Amino acid sequence: MKKQILEFLKTILIFSFGKFKKFTLHFKKTKTMKDMMIVYYSEAKSARLTGKKVAWITSGGPVEPLIAMGIIPIYPENYGAMIGASKMGGGLCEKAEAMGYSSDLCSYARADIACATINGGPLQGLPKPDMLVCCNNICGTVLKWYEVQARYFNVPLFILDTPICHTEYTPEIARYVRSQFDEYFAFLESACKRKFNYDRLNEVLLRSFRTQVLWQEILDTATNKPSPMTAFDAFFHMALIVTLRGTSEVIDYYTALLATMKDRVTRGIGAVPNEKYRLLWDNIPIWHRMKWLSQKFASHNACLVADTYTSAWCGTLKYVSGDNPIYSLAEVYTRIYLNIGVDEMAKMIIAMIDKYDVDGLVLHSNRSCKPYSFGQLDIQRIVEQERGIPCLMIEADMADERSFSESQISTRIDAFMEIIKERKETSKK
Amino acid sequence: MDEITEIINITADPYAYCRKYKEETGKKIVGYTCSYTPEEIIYAAGALPFRLFGTNEGIRLADANLQSYCCSLVRGILEEGLSGRLDFLDGVVFPHTCDSFQRLSDIWRINVIHQFHIDLVLPVKLNTASARQYMIDVLEKFKKDLEHALSVKITDAMLSDTIKTYNQIRALMRKLYAIRAQRLKIISSRDFHNIIKAAMIMDRGLLLKSLSEIIRQMENAESDKIKSGAKRIVLAGSVCSHPDIYDIIENAGGVVVWDDLCTGSRYFDGVLDEKVPPLAAIAQRYLDRPICPAKHAGLTDRGENIVRMVRESKADGVVFLLLKFCDPHAFDYPYIKEMLDKENIPCMLLDMEEQLPAEGQLQTRFETFVQIL
Amino acid sequence: MITAGIDIGSITAKAAIFEDGKLLAAKVIFTGYNAELAGQKVYDDVLSEAGIDKNAIAKIVSTGYGRNSVKFADKSYTEIMCHAAGAHFLNPHIRSIIDIGGQDSKAILLDDKGKVKNFVMNDKCAAGTGRFLEVMARALEVNLDDFGAMSIKSKQPSKISSLCTVFAESEVISLIAKGEQRQDIIAGIHESIAARVSSMVGRVGIKEPVMITGGVARNIGVVHALEKKLGMKIEVSPYAQVNGAIGAAFLAASL
Repeated sequence: MKKQILEFLKTILIFSFGKFKKFTLHFKKTKTMKDMMIVYYSEAKSARLTGKKVAWITSGGPVEPLIAMGIIPIYPENYGAMIGASKMGGGLCEKAEAMGYSSDLCSYARADIACATINGGPLQGLPKPDMLVCCNNICGTVLKWYEVQARYFNVPLFILDTPICHTEYTPEIARYVRSQFDEYFAFLESACKRKFNYDRLNEVLLRSFRTQVLWQEILDTATNKPSPMTAFDAFFHMALIVTLRGTSEVIDYYTALLATMKDRVTRGIGAVPNEKYRLLWDNIPIWHRMKWLSQKFASHNACLVADTYTSAWCGTLKYVSGDNPIYSLAEVYTRIYLNIGVDEMAKMIIAMIDKYDVDGLVLHSNRSCKPYSFGQLDIQRIVEQERGIPCLMIEADMADERSFSESQISTRIDAFMEIIKERKETSKK
Repeated sequence: MDEITEIINITADPYAYCRKYKEETGKKIVGYTCSYTPEEIIYAAGALPFRLFGTNEGIRLADANLQSYCCSLVRGILEEGLSGRLDFLDGVVFPHTCDSFQRLSDIWRINVIHQFHIDLVLPVKLNTASARQYMIDVLEKFKKDLEHALSVKITDAMLSDTIKTYNQIRALMRKLYAIRAQRLKIISSRDFHNIIKAAMIMDRGLLLKSLSEIIRQMENAESDKIKSGAKRIVLAGSVCSHPDIYDIIENAGGVVVWDDLCTGSRYFDGVLDEKVPPLAAIAQRYLDRPICPAKHAGLTDRGENIVRMVRESKADGVVFLLLKFCDPHAFDYPYIKEMLDKENIPCMLLDMEEQLPAEGQLQTRFETFVQIL
Repeated sequence: MITAGIDIGSITAKAAIFEDGKLLAAKVIFTGYNAELAGQKVYDDVLSEAGIDKNAIAKIVSTGYGRNSVKFADKSYTEIMCHAAGAHFLNPHIRSIIDIGGQDSKAILLDDKGKVKNFVMNDKCAAGTGRFLEVMARALEVNLDDFGAMSIKSKQPSKISSLCTVFAESEVISLIAKGEQRQDIIAGIHESIAARVSSMVGRVGIKEPVMITGGVARNIGVVHALEKKLGMKIEVSPYAQVNGAIGAAFLAASL
């Protein structure tokens, strides 16, 4: 009982601190990422006290209906990134392995499954879910992971099954996914014991689309030379569009961020002081080595100007139908970057190479993510054939810091940059 | 038995069998990768559905397209495709199974030239009305794609005939399992395994005849009790194309009485309803049959299924044959183990690759497990 | 202009002296546990071999895994770049390099000017490296230097299927117990290493003429197994082991 009271007080403290910060920052133009994240997680952790419901949702899942129903969305994958960045992934994965989960499974899943049993990770565990929402547009692993958690927490699980579009988005897929959205709304009604608010959903969707447009504009500033931001900046700032898109606070944040970037462009300020080489990053970041990688590439005067991961959160804007936004949700959530054929992904990468005028491609061969990593060898070949730029493959893991060989990877990056430098010098002559 | 000898010849060199089959009958051969393939539709189209099993040759070419953290089944299938050894196929069907197979389809489409390539993106959820509808929709689409690829028209009558044939085949396979579960000496493990493998490779008409004859002879054979003391084991896993496993288990004092394998009971379980339209019947069977971990029905369906299987076959324990890098099976293992523990059913986990580990190691593991039972 | 190249590998340290495009001397010593000392020693050794004074050296380039330990070098380049430069110096027609060292193996693709176009490294696993051969030599109680000559005598190489060095060693021991001939086992070991390397090469593609560099190039059995596996002739230079140092010395001249 005492422990519970202490926990409760701790939560209130964090929450009030957040609120206080919110108040003091009223005088500042906009809140910082850290502040917003503190408020977000505090609200989620005290949901039981405030009578709100918490839903765990996959990173590619449709969050707008949750926001419309006033349900707080929690992203175990976002927590996985935090776990990776705090270098806690290895320890948690070990615990999962002791529970019987193979060491070859996705490190986000392993870490989260272990975390739930010991309230682990940098925030001492995630708030317990009242429901689970799993969309398999990103991979099949999330289905199994959420089944495990549904059994563990004994809460309702909704699955949005978005069949993969190897070469086309078929009428059959469209029909299937659209009917599942109706099932999703019904699921939320049942969980919240009140009618689904379609008007509110429309409002939230408009804000969500506005956010995605803003995010695209922010990423587009990197087409400038020098680029005002690197992919590592994008990996940091993306947290809000992932977790809270559809809220107005997020629009404010990105509006301010865009202004900052545009200002830097006007003043010719580059994120990498002496930007000479521009690179494209593919796959989920190596969360536990962001600083090291950032400094390593910067030491070669190389700027990672764009990446395929952050751009996925504005990549399906083209499928939004202004006439019937709810209806177009099916296509928006099915045709994401990971849910298409490898050759389609290669086409998108080549388009990015051209758009950002990139000198080389860095592919993170991520042990934890098969849909993202299998096909990279073919993508590499296609890029080399079509654009003739050097490609580097780095074998690592997004959240498990045990899978990283520093000196080998350092050598590979050095050798890759040597090739790029050589080519640039030759092309100048 | 001549039928068994013929079957062993087929499984010894499936590719040679296929080439001869094509020469003699002029029919087409369609490769497929997973038990969720509605091969009834392929067969109704007049083609031979041919299961792809990975490779015996070792991975050399596939390394250029698939990283090493991919299971050896998927890498092996790609290896066979890239090597040219599957050039006799007229086309390949890729049903949606798991992330690795999903990407295999793309990589195959980019790198392996075959006459046709059909993606069959089945639902992952199998327990809702919308999934049911989608299943029927994609089967309709598959039928059209196949008609186009093979230049045939697949009528309902052809499908109905095929359904009858497949119901008969599957009933016989189930019977084979049942007879063997009671009278283990009646057929060697190796032969038994070969029959099951052949069922996914050989002409299905010939298969039906052979199975009928084999079972007829088994039923008329002298009654033969199980070796007393042999421990009864249920195998659980995905694909097991190693006949050696069965021998090793027997040498260790155990005997396989039933299985929850993709290339075992999950292949033949489930009856096609002959009273409803054929595509609906086919959809129903694939939706309702014992589930594979890459699909979702209930949260504990598979665990309950395995427990029931153990009870019904009076097994002493369960051996999990888990293919290394197979995610769906690896995620299921802990909860199923927990269910088995609650029921006091002992189990053992064996990590497998297509190439088996050293025989000595396997022997030790199985002997120890059998001792525990 | 006289330049020097120093290649600090995990097992051996190499040095080379160049004068106006000509190789004057080269030296190999064991690295030991102190890369910095090894760098100094091999440098001193190669200088005395060439009969040249330290002050005569204009520029020094270091390479290899211990390249940053050579504090007195003017610049360091990766071994990929240095092996490319070295092979190009030894034979300007070379388009592909297979380098099998003590602890890693690499395949390097060159363009027609001898510059690195693409590369792939196996730096995760001992199989396919010199370490694999060392382990096997110990298991067979044969001198590693005799491996090449012995494998040539084999008519029926043994099949070694284990991908992992440690398990392959167990496999070899059971082959010995089964009574298989040493030369057949060694030939099988060579085929195993060739299979791993050719697999890696497949990822980057290969273009003839091909040269093999690194210490393992001295093993004629591995070279033959690789030629058989790849279906092409492979050039072996007598300077294979010091190729990295040669490339480094060569590159130093352009500093």
